[in-house]
Amino acid sequence: MQTIEQQTMVRNWFLSTSVRAAIRYAWLLAITSWFLSGETLSADPPHDEAVKRAFFETSVRPLLVEHCYECHSVNADSIQAGLTVDSRDGLLTGGDSGPAIVPGKPEKSLLIEALCYESYEMPPREKLPDDQIDLVRRWIRDGSYWPDEPPPSAEAEREVFDLEARKAAHWAWTPIRRPAIPTVRNTDWPRQPLDHFVLARLEQAGLRPASDCDRPALLRRLCFDLTGLPPTTDQQETFLSDKRPDAVERLVDRLLASPHFGERWGRHWLDLVRYAESRGHEFDNDAQNAFQYRDYVIRALNSDVPYDQFVREHIAGDLLDAPRTGADPSVNESILGTGFWFLGEWVHSPVDTRKDEADRFDNMIDVMSKTFLGVTVACARCHDHKFDAISTADYYALSGFLQSSDYRQVRFESMQHNREIAERLDRLDQKFQTAIAQQLSDAGREVIQIDRQPEKSLASIVVDYGELGPDEYLTRGYLFGDRPRRCGQPFLAVKRGRPVVRLQPVDAAVSDDFWHNLSVIQQKAVRDQNRLSDIPRPGRTLRTPTFLLTSGDLSCRVRGRGHVVACVDSHRLVHGPLHGETIQAINTKSGKKQHADYDTGFRWVDMKLDRYEGHRIHLEFTPAVDSELQVSLVTQGATSEQRQQIQRREADVASHISQWEKEANEWIDPGLADQWLQERQVLQAEIRRESALAMAMADGTPEDDYVLIRGNASKPGDRIPRRFLSAIEGNDPMSINRGSGRLQLARSINSTENPLTHRVIANRLWHYLMGRGIVATTDDFGVLGQRPTHPGLLDHLAIRFRDQGQSLKQLIRTIVLSRSYRMSTHSDPRAMLDDPNNSLWHHRPPKRLEGETIRDALLTVSGQLDRQLGGDSIPIHLTSFMTGRGRPSVNGPIDGARRRSIYTAVRRNFLSPFMLAFDTPTPFSTMGRRTRSNVPAQALILMNDPFVVQQATLWSERLTRQYPSTDARILAMYREAFARLPTKQESEAIDAFVRENSSDQKVWQTIAHALINTKEFIFLR
Amino acid sequence: MPEKFPCQRECFIPLSRREMLHRSASGFGAVALAALQSDRSFASGTTAEGRADHGPHHPPRAKNVIFLYMDGGPSQVDTFDPKPLLTRYDGKDPGQFFRVEPTQFNNNGTVLASPWKFSRHGESGLPVSELFPYVGKQADKLCVIRSMTSEFPEHTFANYFLHTGSGLQGRPSMGAWVNYGLGSECENLPGFIVINGGLIPPGGIDCFGSGFLPASYQGSIFKPSGGGVANIRPAKSAVEHQTGMLRLARKLDAIGQSAFGQHDRLESAIRNDELAFQMQMAVPGVMSLQDETAAVRRKYGLESDFKPTQIYGTQCLLARRMVERGVRFVELTCPSVNTDRWDQHSRLKTGHERNALAVDQPIAALLEDLSDRGMLDETLVVWAGEFGRTPFAQGKNGRDHNPFGFTVWMAGGGAKPGFVYGATDEFGYKAVEGRMEIHDLHATMLYLLGVDHTRSTYRFGGRDMRLTDVKGHVIQELIDT
Repeated sequence: MQTIEQQTMVRNWFLSTSVRAAIRYAWLLAITSWFLSGETLSADPPHDEAVKRAFFETSVRPLLVEHCYECHSVNADSIQAGLTVDSRDGLLTGGDSGPAIVPGKPEKSLLIEALCYESYEMPPREKLPDDQIDLVRRWIRDGSYWPDEPPPSAEAEREVFDLEARKAAHWAWTPIRRPAIPTVRNTDWPRQPLDHFVLARLEQAGLRPASDCDRPALLRRLCFDLTGLPPTTDQQETFLSDKRPDAVERLVDRLLASPHFGERWGRHWLDLVRYAESRGHEFDNDAQNAFQYRDYVIRALNSDVPYDQFVREHIAGDLLDAPRTGADPSVNESILGTGFWFLGEWVHSPVDTRKDEADRFDNMIDVMSKTFLGVTVACARCHDHKFDAISTADYYALSGFLQSSDYRQVRFESMQHNREIAERLDRLDQKFQTAIAQQLSDAGREVIQIDRQPEKSLASIVVDYGELGPDEYLTRGYLFGDRPRRCGQPFLAVKRGRPVVRLQPVDAAVSDDFWHNLSVIQQKAVRDQNRLSDIPRPGRTLRTPTFLLTSGDLSCRVRGRGHVVACVDSHRLVHGPLHGETIQAINTKSGKKQHADYDTGFRWVDMKLDRYEGHRIHLEFTPAVDSELQVSLVTQGATSEQRQQIQRREADVASHISQWEKEANEWIDPGLADQWLQERQVLQAEIRRESALAMAMADGTPEDDYVLIRGNASKPGDRIPRRFLSAIEGNDPMSINRGSGRLQLARSINSTENPLTHRVIANRLWHYLMGRGIVATTDDFGVLGQRPTHPGLLDHLAIRFRDQGQSLKQLIRTIVLSRSYRMSTHSDPRAMLDDPNNSLWHHRPPKRLEGETIRDALLTVSGQLDRQLGGDSIPIHLTSFMTGRGRPSVNGPIDGARRRSIYTAVRRNFLSPFMLAFDTPTPFSTMGRRTRSNVPAQALILMNDPFVVQQATLWSERLTRQYPSTDARILAMYREAFARLPTKQESEAIDAFVRENSSDQKVWQTIAHALINTKEFIFLR
Repeated sequence: MPEKFPCQRECFIPLSRREMLHRSASGFGAVALAALQSDRSFASGTTAEGRADHGPHHPPRAKNVIFLYMDGGPSQVDTFDPKPLLTRYDGKDPGQFFRVEPTQFNNNGTVLASPWKFSRHGESGLPVSELFPYVGKQADKLCVIRSMTSEFPEHTFANYFLHTGSGLQGRPSMGAWVNYGLGSECENLPGFIVINGGLIPPGGIDCFGSGFLPASYQGSIFKPSGGGVANIRPAKSAVEHQTGMLRLARKLDAIGQSAFGQHDRLESAIRNDELAFQMQMAVPGVMSLQDETAAVRRKYGLESDFKPTQIYGTQCLLARRMVERGVRFVELTCPSVNTDRWDQHSRLKTGHERNALAVDQPIAALLEDLSDRGMLDETLVVWAGEFGRTPFAQGKNGRDHNPFGFTVWMAGGGAKPGFVYGATDEFGYKAVEGRMEIHDLHATMLYLLGVDHTRSTYRFGGRDMRLTDVKGHVIQELIDT
């Protein structure tokens, strides 16, 4: 049976196709008339031709050449909008928006429209004078004469987009193959198979690898690389005194098991997903509960969730049948991964919501494709990729997944637990409903059947909860059950303290008071101006299917109290001046009776959405706290007659049911209602009412997206079915039975047939550990990226990663236990000469620590570090230079509450100056490889920043307390800061300094500060 | 390039460390800046995706830029683009005359006449409204563009767009691009300085960010007031000990270096410390306005009764001093005038009057001073908001955002003086003649600096990025020949 919604959609679709057909028809007529006039033309005497030609050559062609050719001729640098005007064919075929001229019909010619600045505004710099436009108009009216001439040819051959050719030509699209392990001459050197790949290349080039680094250097390297913290003296003790041959293995295993591993690698991951806790733009509104995603990443990395699962959770963690739970089985961990989609910028009052949505999707696709696939799909938003085997269709095939999905705040801590309760409640209610039906049937009565009348299918009804298919019944949380309540369906009510069986009078989605008293734990708001935040929506919302708004007059047939929100183009940051009309309070208690005979209590709640006509929208209904809300249907553009017809019908049915309800209650066992209530109450006591919230994705109405011509949101082109990249899986639509299809998308990303995913992640790990990826451009495996220096090694690692169960920790372990990892920073002079860029890996260049790591190291050596994991972020410390709109209301402590840097709030418009100077990326896109600049600001920070001075002071004070002698202090300082003993020279230098400044109370503070300012503090050997 | 770009006009002579510390300790404030950055030579080599052929590509007309950012969007029809029709049709429904596009507040009123009179100035006869009596006297220096357009009617998008050529966060700002392309001429001051008069634009400091370019190109934010001029003042105790501390650190570095082996990145990191030290001295020097004569200070409005004029005057004077020292790109943000920024959604008269009062005298003084010192020829001054305002009212007495046609102007640095380019329609709503995009402004600015905007690129995320995206034309008519 076709549901009303499907009918509506079909109808809308028909509408738009018929409009399109009409346009096409008009166009055909014009073309036909041109053919006719063309014939006439050719019959014209030569003289006429000469006149036309003269007119064209003197008045029209020069105009085109002068004003249009720059962008619209075969020789243009880049042809704009696919339109050329240097041939008649070019004009007739037209560009992205269709034919540019209709010969004989200037009024139907896009070219004239554009010249008159009516739709396009061409030429863009300045409108032509009217008399010149008249010349063109006249030329078109007279049949658009063009002399018979060979088609214009480009001086340079223009490259045609050939996806298959590009795919064949570029390494990254080739399947991953298990390479043979290269043989090496120096067979003693390798510790891991991967070392063979490195050494073989060096041997080929006649170069020698650097010797192993010393143990203290290795210890410091491993501690920073794996946990982002310097080795404590205890760690040093344990490792340096461990004389067994596998001491390094044991150290690595300890570090991999450390909870700080997740913090270190979590920060790397957050760079990929442009993690931030505010929305940027004008007021830097909160990205609510973003920190839950950060903590999810840390936990997932610590528990070494297999990478394919991690990917799946990011793409579709909300759709898993058996989500991963935490230690507490109520907590849905998997769903938290989907938060990454929503970490981007949000705009509070966009004038053009469709464009705003297109920009948001662009960022989501950009981040997803770079992070997981290492390709720049977003480059294909406006045109086929300039270099890679990625088409514009690929881009819109992916954006369809987003078009079919929603944002929400999810009650992730209670959802698994309460899901089970919801299922039990459903079974319980069905049991009693069956019992009632049985009792009535035993008494010779049937449960009432209401025939649906055709008027229900009025054109004005866009959503009807009496007819909605099960896949279209979308809710967030369990309040509205998993289907609407149908007319005549028995339910339990409490009347004057007594339970009674009632029959539902009107088809409606109904919030069940069973779920009253839910509460949430919110991240403390810093700047939350979103009007939607005032409505208790999370886990309490009914979502209609998406529909095309054809009339701004929207009416909802509802009963109860709460809110309805019209979500237009997925815009959800409502904070004046625009879009206030998308939120409407509902309170039908106060409304007037609408029907003389029988009052169902349902009322019309109107929304005035003229601004959004032509946009795709859906509605979200939320009951007020502990109130009931029923939603029966939604109309758009309904006449008052139609509305009365609906009301009348509703009252007829309801009064009929009311009669029947009285009768039926005489046949139903009076004890049944008591029993029903009691069982419900027992179950109700098990509800987990409180939960923290997190941002997450949810399925909306499945939709394919349309190509936007040249990326322009107001110019939709062909519809592209959802699918993965055609270079990997071809052009066939993905088979998606229901929902958004994101699970299938995750499957494609994880597929072993996909040559990108595993190469990309293996390369990332190599990059973070070795300082440079095998493919240096970690986020771009495309043509503009760099080629792998060791292609065999890359595939070897990718395959090993798969073989080891996609364990990130295992691959990290493999790499750090290699001989290649262990090379010292001392390069062989010969190797430096032959391979100055170290592209063959003959030594390990010193690595500068990241801003976060430097700050964490300062806290560690000073003894101040608070090692607590996770939780709400520490507000950013605001200096007097950090001003402007959206300034956080709370100023954080200068020492960030002594927590690790990953826990400092990332406010887009108020980023830490310390971190910015040390190249922490601005969170706008995937940044798998930070720049490592070397600028005076960094020196100035280490010299003067109050935080640094404070930590130096605290460090020196602790040392002075702990160690009475100069020698012991020097020793402790070197061990704490550099994990090694001072050399004799170093001891002497400091000793001399102490003596020279013996009168200075703060000499140890100065020494501590000096050590922080040595290069060894911020560089790894 | 040295042969094309002679060394900075005023060589800064580094003081000794002892002198420096003496000055610092005696109250000028030894200052470090969170994002105080400098010469490309200290940033290159370690950068990510490489520079292309950046510049200069042709002989430059300008060496430096002073960008006077008019936050909030000044109204074109009340400043430099007179429209008598607004007076004639004051109070009429604008829909009678033209199609009204969607606005930010959707509270459109009737056609609103300008409350200010225009008069013609100078030999050029350029019309300037009475909001700018001082700037009016400099009319013959201005190259007024009346046909600017933007793609965005919202502040933040439009701010990012004006500053970075993209409406979204995360792209390098103009000042960053210019320094990337040309390098700095000044080793002890950052190449891109933002003197913050008080109002950071919507969108935040990312308007001045380096985006995907290395951190070295970030704008450094200065304050114009007091002795404190930048992000970080060392604690007093640290100041006293800094000499010894650094001496010890260098000594230990020298000893420890053998453990690392020879590496460029370590050596340049050590050079950085030297440079940082010089910066600490250079900053108090540039900030020291006592060096200026009383007449100059008065001229810039430092003695004005109106506090915001004093602030902006200080900013303008500092900008001149920075340019003298070779700072490549200086941007000034507006001071707060206790109403809104130039964003008069209501009470246009008061709001625009106060905003104009704050900047008028200082800007005029800057133009005249640069000219007197022979610096205007090589210093491109650009005055621009992120968009203009509607010729019809918002509510009764405000104007809403208008990206369809507005006025910006340039002066000096090879821009054609006493010249008006382009035009809006007769209501001042949309550009109809010589319609310019922000990309064109960027392309033209870069051109004047000797940079071909299509060639100054940086590879990021699979694209060769540029300030002008894939657009932009140099508007030759704007260039003085």
